[in-house]
Amino acid sequence: MSEQYGFYYDASRCIQCHTCEVACKSTRGLEQGVKWRRVIETWGGEYPNVTRTFFSLACMHCGKPACAAVCLTGAIIKRVEDGIVVVDRDKCNGCQDCFAACPYGVPQFGADGTMQKCDFCVETGREPACALSCPSEALNFGTLNELMKMTAGKSAKRMEGTTEPSIITVGSIKVM
Amino acid sequence: MSIKSDDVEEGEKSVQSGKSEERMIPTFCSLCGPSMGCGINCYVKDGRLVRVEGMKESPVNNGKLCLKAFASMQWLYSPQRLKYPLKRVGKKGEGKFERVTWDEALDIIADKLNEQKEKYGPESLAILSPQARTYKPYFIRFLTAHGSPNYCHSGICAIQRAFGFAYTVGVPMLGMAGADYERAELIVIWGANPVYAGAPTGNLKRILDAKARGAKLVAIKPQMQPDAAKADMWLPIKPGTDGALVLAILNVIINEHIYDAEFVSQWCYGFDKLVPHIQKYTPEWAEPITGLPADRIIEFARLYGKAKSACILAGNAFDQTVDSNNAVRAVGILIAITGNLDRPGGNIVPTESTMPMPKPVTLFERYTQDMIDKLVGPEMPRCFQPFIEGASSAYYKCLNSVLTGEPYPVKTIMAPGTQPTVITRDSKRVIEALEKLEFFVVIDVTQNSSMPWADVVIPVATMYETDHPFETSMMGTGNWLMARNKIIEPLGDYKSDYEFWLALGVKMGYGEDFWHGNIEECMNYQLENFGITIDELRSHPTGIVYEPKPIVYEKYAEIFATPSTRLSKAPYLPQGKVAIYNTTFEENGFNPLPEWVEPPESPTNTPELLEKYPLVFFDTHTSEAYNHGWLRNVPYMREIQPEPWIHIHPDTARQRGINDGDWVIVESPHGWIKVKALYFPGIRPDTIMSLHGWWQGCNELGLPGYPLLDGGANVNILYSSDPDKAFDPVVTAMPKQTLVEVRKAGNNG
Repeated sequence: MSEQYGFYYDASRCIQCHTCEVACKSTRGLEQGVKWRRVIETWGGEYPNVTRTFFSLACMHCGKPACAAVCLTGAIIKRVEDGIVVVDRDKCNGCQDCFAACPYGVPQFGADGTMQKCDFCVETGREPACALSCPSEALNFGTLNELMKMTAGKSAKRMEGTTEPSIITVGSIKVM
Repeated sequence: MSIKSDDVEEGEKSVQSGKSEERMIPTFCSLCGPSMGCGINCYVKDGRLVRVEGMKESPVNNGKLCLKAFASMQWLYSPQRLKYPLKRVGKKGEGKFERVTWDEALDIIADKLNEQKEKYGPESLAILSPQARTYKPYFIRFLTAHGSPNYCHSGICAIQRAFGFAYTVGVPMLGMAGADYERAELIVIWGANPVYAGAPTGNLKRILDAKARGAKLVAIKPQMQPDAAKADMWLPIKPGTDGALVLAILNVIINEHIYDAEFVSQWCYGFDKLVPHIQKYTPEWAEPITGLPADRIIEFARLYGKAKSACILAGNAFDQTVDSNNAVRAVGILIAITGNLDRPGGNIVPTESTMPMPKPVTLFERYTQDMIDKLVGPEMPRCFQPFIEGASSAYYKCLNSVLTGEPYPVKTIMAPGTQPTVITRDSKRVIEALEKLEFFVVIDVTQNSSMPWADVVIPVATMYETDHPFETSMMGTGNWLMARNKIIEPLGDYKSDYEFWLALGVKMGYGEDFWHGNIEECMNYQLENFGITIDELRSHPTGIVYEPKPIVYEKYAEIFATPSTRLSKAPYLPQGKVAIYNTTFEENGFNPLPEWVEPPESPTNTPELLEKYPLVFFDTHTSEAYNHGWLRNVPYMREIQPEPWIHIHPDTARQRGINDGDWVIVESPHGWIKVKALYFPGIRPDTIMSLHGWWQGCNELGLPGYPLLDGGANVNILYSSDPDKAFDPVVTAMPKQTLVEVRKAGNNG
């Protein structure tokens, strides 16, 4: 692989405005009920000392994608040239094994029953709409090397996980 | 509603973006107000808008957008769009209409208005305010040309704050537009929401950038909204008690001498009278009212008072309370005496840019005392009229006049982009007024909740279906002038809001005042100060950006001499100093010093209600997905907030056997609604929060609409509209606080 693409997510800047979510749906013309990206929240502590953190969750284009590992039809492929995990929906049989395998609940299934998810907007030939539109600049797109440079001076690190998510984060992230 | 919809287009379709055939046209969004919209690049394929993205050239949004803009195609092509003018054929409220032409609709309205003008006088016409939009000056012009002063402001946003600030520090927009985030050591978000209101327009990013460089962030609001989740200090105040908190903070700051004595002696009037006045408002006094421990109030007062620089973003919480004028004046005083007025890092008065101002569309120069005397229900007392939007009546009082006949009954109400049934208080009374009203005109882009009572419905173009107006950014976020570009042809027999008012002006015989109906001439008139025409402006597809001027601080002599908007043009501040002791108020029979006024229903004001209604209820002005009473029909938005809701602390819910997601009945002394209970760990356990504007269904998601009165989800029916208790006497602000009980809804509701 030449360069793995990923997202840099700064939890200290995400304000759960849902812009990334709808930018994705609208730009990709997604059907009702399907979300390739969604902003989730985690509460901690007891009132009045509560904490509330957000995470903009989409496919993390993992270094070791569990979804692809379990896919019997070969519909899910991790591209060699840029590390993007793509789905060939014509090959998908809708068994949803990928959903069971993904630690983050990413795979989505619409009316046709086949798996769909974020493809880094490669199909459109443009930069991902979610990162382009993020009003607080919490979500950023690039190669992992570019993203690490973008975080210079902050205590950024690659998100931990057995599947090696291609996510650079600042601060701790709780996903599930 | 039954409307023949044979030519209503199909709803949202899946968008395929074959990029080779797309054509990009830049324009600007106007889904929300009040400042200039965000620059938006629109991609059109086969005459259909298929995709949008933020415009990088725009200094307002710098390439960013919000979710509403991304969902706007579903709004544009929604099955609820009004495609042609309608005339009522059934009974009022029944919602039966038949199609008429644009010209026929204008004739019906013009004939009625001319007849009523003859019979009852021009003041029998009132026009209700929409969310601040650039078509507003056009109908204010229409009112003035007609001879009516009755522009009726909703009283739910901004103007109430502007009034208190203008008459305290001489600057109406202080606390809303002019926070110097880049240099602030402390930023206070107070009853405001920079996330749900204008996130792409820069304030949010500026606040987050300030925090990243080490500025402290404090949020004062009853629930932990996302901005409060980022704060270093969250003060979960009881709804509607912000005024009590400001007074207690002033008490600490004055008694601990942590104010700017030099500024106070040089630039403030009446500090010596505030000192004894404030003594009774101790933190201990404020504790039961605000629900904040006295030591937390002291801690915050010291933090704010001792900060080298601090700015306050004062929001909508200050507009919708009977204590509004007091609370805002007290915030103005707090900013001033701590030396945070027009200083680096404080609340500043934005320096003008090199951009000229357009010639105004309004005809303020024609106001006379006689017209002001005829206001049906002055929003501010007549002695303070006109204010910055011109002469104004209060929205609710205007509707009420139809029922009471006091001081006279308004005969025609026009509602452009506003829904009285869900936007003002006491919807039951509002509906009674609409039933009785002689003539009611609704103007909107989609069907709305007030439409069933309309005699005539005027459909208007969305921002994508017209090539005007031009707009200028006004809020200090940029210095940008741009002409709107048409993205698609209108989907039916209608024109823009702007063209409607010009055309109606011509029909009424006011053609001289309405550029004889020529919109291009109207644009060119306004552009005269720029030395260009609208055609020349169009040669700059993404507009013209003007150089900002360097910030100048401490412009006190100039600020404190600002002429007021009253007919006399006498300055807001007669002493040329901050009006701590307000002689203008005193002369007109109002308290010269800010005092505390309880909400009509609250634990401390009406403890006798607590046994039956133990919880405090309020609603929030904005949400991540909706714009007041609109957009709930848009599937992309509705997926984010599918059902009407309350936020409730899990402990409070469990005590009542309520599970997360249960449907519940919320009952106040005035009515009841049925909504979904959502567990929300970051809300005061004694407080319930909801959102206003619920009525509409969403066909695509199979979600129903909701009744406007008892059993629906319209929060306005829960509040008091008691003439003696539910209005701020100076700015007519109406409360959005009451007491309720919540119980699980039965199987059948």
